[in-house]
Amino acid sequence: MAVVKYINLYFKLIGAGVRAQLQYRFAFIMRIIGMLTAYTGTAVTMWVMLYQFQTLGDWNFYEMLFLLALAIVSWGFCIILFFHFRSLDTYILNGTFDRFLVRPINPFFHFMAMKFEVSSLGQFIFSVVVLAWVSVELQIDWTFTKALFLIGAIIGGVLIQGGLLVIISALAFWTTKSEQFYWVAMYPARNLTYYPLMIYPKLLQWVTAFVIPFGFVNYFPSTVILEKETPFFPDAIGYFSPVVGLLFFILSYFIWMQGLKRYKSTGS
Amino acid sequence: MGQLNMYWTFTKKAFLRSSVYRFEVWSRTGSNLIFLVMWGSIWTALYAGKEEAAGVSFTAMLTYIVVSKFLDGVNEAGTPLWDIQEKVRTGDISLELMRPFDVPLRYLFADFGSVAFYMLTALLPIYFLLFLFMDLTLPTDGFTWIYFILSAFLGFLIRYCVEMTFGLLTFFLVETGGIEDIFYFAMSLLSGSVIPLWFFPGWLETIALYLPFQSIFFLPISIFIGEINGSQIFTSLGIQFFWLVVCYLILRLVWNRASHKVVVQGG
Repeated sequence: MAVVKYINLYFKLIGAGVRAQLQYRFAFIMRIIGMLTAYTGTAVTMWVMLYQFQTLGDWNFYEMLFLLALAIVSWGFCIILFFHFRSLDTYILNGTFDRFLVRPINPFFHFMAMKFEVSSLGQFIFSVVVLAWVSVELQIDWTFTKALFLIGAIIGGVLIQGGLLVIISALAFWTTKSEQFYWVAMYPARNLTYYPLMIYPKLLQWVTAFVIPFGFVNYFPSTVILEKETPFFPDAIGYFSPVVGLLFFILSYFIWMQGLKRYKSTGS
Repeated sequence: MGQLNMYWTFTKKAFLRSSVYRFEVWSRTGSNLIFLVMWGSIWTALYAGKEEAAGVSFTAMLTYIVVSKFLDGVNEAGTPLWDIQEKVRTGDISLELMRPFDVPLRYLFADFGSVAFYMLTALLPIYFLLFLFMDLTLPTDGFTWIYFILSAFLGFLIRYCVEMTFGLLTFFLVETGGIEDIFYFAMSLLSGSVIPLWFFPGWLETIALYLPFQSIFFLPISIFIGEINGSQIFTSLGIQFFWLVVCYLILRLVWNRASHKVVVQGG
């Protein structure tokens, strides 16, 4: 019954975390407003861009909003579960990482359950409103299978982005740096996915499909739901999103555990 | 003269300090280039093989984006907004108040040092190569170069004043969530850094023309690619100078208020 024990423990740990964060209610609300402003800014930029040109590739404004919303909804879950992984370097440098090793539970699990970011409410408000609006504008026919596929795609997106955050944090075991890698690699890469992948050079498309599988977070699933063509890739590639997510996350877990073996306390 | 020497020391120190953080240079360059590829691809796709749009050729537009990302690199090498906010929150800035220099000026001169280091070691060599190997347009006469550099420098100072002012707002609002996002939005869209103002809907263009942000990217780059030429250049420089004075006065006002507030709180 180890799994049940772990699930109970997870909710106990995050329950404490959530209560702690809600102590600062004003900060909490300001963070949500900030997120909403930032994403609305991206949407407005897209609108201005397409004011003269109408389409980017063969994507119109509403289709691009769909793409953006799908990226942001899975990022919202990702923030809740994994965003604090990027700051593993701070824990290692301060020597506070040791406490995750001296307790009788899996250190990966313990580190994951240590924090539960509640501020991602902003992401959810934005993406739900946008998805609803776009569904009406594009007359998306939400059948049961389509809705199920959307959920699968979101889970895939969470696992891919979460996996990448885990790999980035694992870099701290070798280099004692991780937060910077997030801002150098993952932040720009996430920005790339706000626009349809088909507009980028072929090499970059290939990398985002098969090396760092960002394409499976929102672009490939969106082409399935919106029934759009995917130049250079098979049409049904979007259906693989959950599988890719699962495999990528397992891989990142192993990389993290491998890094953990190398870990030596700074002793401070 | 002694004053200037003191601030000059901050510039030299910042230059030397930057040379220690090599990884910073690499990482900043990496993400700068990713954003360059991103916006280059977006504009290539928007033009979709057309020679020109709204009277602007594709080559000029691509040059616009490349110069914009260069200026982005220059402006981002200074003290970032979150760093100023952090200094205010932790109270580190109060230590600076006790010292015999003007804090906003001291940060500006330190920024000169870090920007100079970043330009020499990364930006100039990389963008030189880009201009060499890509099909881009360069200003044909030397005067345009001078006006561009002057305009970009004015833009840098305006950006500095605005960013510092936003940073100092932390003195008054401990939590600044929405504030910094408004700043970043204005910096990316209203400044014309990714979409030139001539592609804006009319009403939005009017708004942008009456705000200081266009001075940071839109005006210098338009001079560079020749969209702003002849006597318009002097009008643009005049507008930038006007905004520099206004933004500097606002920064002074906010700074005076803020530094008094520190005394009240007892640091």
